[in-house]
Amino acid sequence: MEYLALIHADENVWASMEPSERERWYERYRTFSSDARAAGVMTGGNELAPTADATTVRVRDHETLVTDGPYAEVKEALGGYYLFECGSLDEALDWAARIPGAEHGAVEVRPVHFDPEEAHL
Amino acid sequence: MKYAMLIYGDDTGWLDLPAEERAALREAELPRWYALFEELGRVDPNVTGKELATRHSAKVVRVRDGERIVTDGPFAQTKEILGGLFLVDLPDLDEAIRLAALVPAAEDGSIEIRPVLQ
Repeated sequence: MEYLALIHADENVWASMEPSERERWYERYRTFSSDARAAGVMTGGNELAPTADATTVRVRDHETLVTDGPYAEVKEALGGYYLFECGSLDEALDWAARIPGAEHGAVEVRPVHFDPEEAHL
Repeated sequence: MKYAMLIYGDDTGWLDLPAEERAALREAELPRWYALFEELGRVDPNVTGKELATRHSAKVVRVRDGERIVTDGPFAQTKEILGGLFLVDLPDLDEAIRLAALVPAAEDGSIEIRPVLQ
């Protein structure tokens, strides 16, 4: 079963870090990713640009409305995610707890919906 | 440039509907989603997309002082919740906006477009 692990953390803390400290976190992320890949658990993952670079699109009454910024201003924004293939939720939670961001932010774990009757991308 | 399209919508009314009604509404909307998949695939043959299970299945993991804390999710207790995402390689933001407006959920929710860092 696939699980999406969504990493929420305070962007300001990240942005105000010394470059050397940020590099230490990146190094931990690289180690985690390579461990999760080697275990056959990690099937995808990406770091997202900060919410300052977000654009939000809504369609109301057939009109496209475009606004700068994220859909909602939150203190701990979604900063990236991993996609895991795991045998159980418990296993997915174990891997989620090893994501470096879990130590200062929060990792939301959500099962991916899959219906064999439906087309998927 | 790679973009993540994050699909946010209010699922509370949806979850209150009887299962058969939900299934019928989903069935009725599927052709529009399939048309979108086709359009995304034309623009980027390597596009991927994931739909997430409902908010009731969400868990939140934090580690503080080496201790793991798991709570029932979702992380943000808002009416609108992330319901799925696309990852698509596009020439520019304008193209991302055009495609985001084709997502059926853009009509009652919000599509947040975020560049992916390489």
